[in-house]
Amino acid sequence: MYAIDDFVGAIRHCLQCNFCLSACPIYREELVEAHAPRGRLNLVEAALVDQRVAPNEKVRRRLDRCLLCASCARVCPGGIPLDDVFLAARVELSGKPGAGLTERFVVRQVLNRRVTSSLLKRSLSLARRLGLAPSDIPRVASSSFTRRAPREAAPRGPTAARVAYFVGCGTEYLFPDTGEALLRVLPDHGIAVVVPEGQTCCGLPALALGDLDATREAIEVFLAVFAALEVDAVVTDCTSCGHMLRQKAPYVLPPDDPRLKQLRALSEKIFEVTEFLERLGVQRKHPLPDVKVTYHVPCHRGWSEGVAAAPRRLLAQATGVRWTEMREPESCCGAGGYFFLRHRDVAERIRRRKIEDILATKADVVVTQCPACRYYLQQALADEGPRVLHPVALLAGMGP
Amino acid sequence: MTGLLRDLAALVDPRRVWGDVEDLVAYTNDATHRRELPAAVVAPESADEVAAVLRYANQRGIPVIPRGAGTGLAGGAVPVSGGLVLDLKRLNRILEIDHKNLTATVECGVVTGHFQREVEARGLFYPPDPQSLAVCTIGGNVATRAGGPRGVKYGTTKDYVLGLEAVLPDGSVISYGGKSVKMSAGYDLARVFTGSEGTLGVITKVTLRLLVLPPSRRIMIAAFPELDSAAEAVSALIARGAEPSMLEMLDRIAVTSLQRYLPLGLPPDLEAFLIIEVDGHPAKVEEDCALVAEVCREYGVHEVRVARDAAEAERIVQARRALFPAAARAAPNLVIEDATVPRTQVPAMVRAIRRIAERHQVLISITGHIGDGNLHPGIIMDRRFPESVRRAEQAMAEIAREALNLGGTLSGEHGIGLLKAPFLEWEFGEAGVSLMRRLKRAFDPHGIMNPGKILGGGTAGVRD
Repeated sequence: MYAIDDFVGAIRHCLQCNFCLSACPIYREELVEAHAPRGRLNLVEAALVDQRVAPNEKVRRRLDRCLLCASCARVCPGGIPLDDVFLAARVELSGKPGAGLTERFVVRQVLNRRVTSSLLKRSLSLARRLGLAPSDIPRVASSSFTRRAPREAAPRGPTAARVAYFVGCGTEYLFPDTGEALLRVLPDHGIAVVVPEGQTCCGLPALALGDLDATREAIEVFLAVFAALEVDAVVTDCTSCGHMLRQKAPYVLPPDDPRLKQLRALSEKIFEVTEFLERLGVQRKHPLPDVKVTYHVPCHRGWSEGVAAAPRRLLAQATGVRWTEMREPESCCGAGGYFFLRHRDVAERIRRRKIEDILATKADVVVTQCPACRYYLQQALADEGPRVLHPVALLAGMGP
Repeated sequence: MTGLLRDLAALVDPRRVWGDVEDLVAYTNDATHRRELPAAVVAPESADEVAAVLRYANQRGIPVIPRGAGTGLAGGAVPVSGGLVLDLKRLNRILEIDHKNLTATVECGVVTGHFQREVEARGLFYPPDPQSLAVCTIGGNVATRAGGPRGVKYGTTKDYVLGLEAVLPDGSVISYGGKSVKMSAGYDLARVFTGSEGTLGVITKVTLRLLVLPPSRRIMIAAFPELDSAAEAVSALIARGAEPSMLEMLDRIAVTSLQRYLPLGLPPDLEAFLIIEVDGHPAKVEEDCALVAEVCREYGVHEVRVARDAAEAERIVQARRALFPAAARAAPNLVIEDATVPRTQVPAMVRAIRRIAERHQVLISITGHIGDGNLHPGIIMDRRFPESVRRAEQAMAEIAREALNLGGTLSGEHGIGLLKAPFLEWEFGEAGVSLMRRLKRAFDPHGIMNPGKILGGGTAGVRD
């Protein structure tokens, strides 16, 4: 479970090789070891395990300056789940004063309640007027996706599979077009889709705040809504939701929770939509021969082997787009969920590199399966630059 | 201490000075188990800033600990209490890659792996390849004479330093050598700084020799029932002119942990495994491959596999790369030794290490660069238990002693740092060490530069 006691073994196991230095997007910008994975791990050890340093606001602020991108965990020769250690540390420190009250309110009262877009818009504009929210937080879509989406979409032709669609907050509030594309593409390929009612957030924003209660609440709703469905898979269009539901969710419940087995079984059924489509094999073509496409690989890709490969293969096979790889397609864009709202300076510097790499490709479209990346990149690319879309949008024929 | 921070903030941008314990914790160690909290960290951006900080510290007798990426394996970058960590990572510009003279001039904080990619993109080659090359710095490599698998053919960092710029504790800047391949002028100050582990001054700029990138390389793996025959095969194939560019050995313990991590289908009951790479012109590479296979067979190899295609080669390279992660996963913590002996003494050294492991009841996996006699016994320990740390350090001392008995050296490529400082006299005797002390005093009369490293006598302690 996300409690520091459960990660002491992992922390002690660190060889201190510092190979994670090269993987950390923040370190890459700042060259400061206190803002690098080994430095953070040693701070967690000093403050929360050995109690050599008081676990105060300064500790919390340093651990907060981390994208939770999990790049360090991916390169760690010792296989230490560094991002889980950092999450557990945030949970541990969340009781301390100053721990993101506004964000906590948003997580608990908005994402976990899945309020309507219009209510969210009204409360955001109020918050902005009161100075409780920054002026440039993302614009919410005029109508939230699940309000207008059908509850079911029947397949064309014989049924190849039956799936439930987990609608992440990104699609719900920011990019309903991804959901619309998904509901068009899956039935086109013989996949029956249900959009279960009552679903809410995956819990990752709450977990990143260290709010374990709110995370557990989200996971409980996920279980209650999805566990009983008779489906072959649960698909998500968001790599971070998948990352949360596949890899993190089981650590949210206490180890003796009777629902854990059910949750694990359900977690195994989570698929990112392009990966699911690719596994099933795509027959129908959606020719887009004139579109030049490049791919930004989201950081939360480690939870399933095919997450990074699927869009490349799928789009090549199904659309015939002109594919072009950017330099370092796997490097972070700086968004990190809502990290960019809290640490603008470093997030913007990380993004600057990414934008240069994107522009150098002269692509018409950047595809990516993470709504936070999409939002943050699109904001910088503005109107004249390439559009940022989810890969399913191209399969649905939504070109640039 | 605020006085120190205020003073430093007047010398460099205050945003590059750190004094909060929450930041300092990240600078307490390198890749060893020794830890000590410094008083401050400062990150200069130029040789002038380095000089200003050194001049200040020298006047006040404040210890200065130069630092690259903190990946050292001998404790060379572990701070001393009250010391000032000089983080050199921001001096990270590649100043010039001179294709015609085959040289490059870089600042000390340039990351080795990044430099290699830049050089190779131009068809050139900088061979030294320490395991940590994705993060470690050229300055750190020069300061420790870092090596790597390619050492067997290409030598180590010391063989590529043509010249350097260094700042002395009094703030004066010296420059020795440059692009000339030949140089017979004065004492070789570049060599003195190379391997000085930050005890003489701060290396800020280095001119390195480059080679032309070999157009072709092939990799193979050979499994021997006995260690002695593997070692004899190694001597024989070098004597017959095969010129391998990498000659790595793994013992049974290492292969077992490797296969737990990356199944390779290697027979688990054999004593020694060799990973061999040859590079150069395609025809010569072909010839060498055949020669290596032939020699291995002559010496009773159980199986020798030459990679036939890129996929198979990648798998063997992966195995080589997986050695460290595999060991990392097997151990709570690891002390990686680098005692080095003449090539012919490798079997004797391996047997001695096994005896030492037995005597101290520690698990030691043996891998290493068998072609140049540079072994890496990985001593497995658990830093939570002082008894475990004590036994590991004792085993390390005996391995060092044994390497010297066999005509070898305390360190092949990691340096002496803190961990091996107590053994220095074993290798150089009283007269040798005394001369080294006087040499240090000539450069650093107030003893501010990385005290306790190489020559001992510092105050950096074992953690807790």
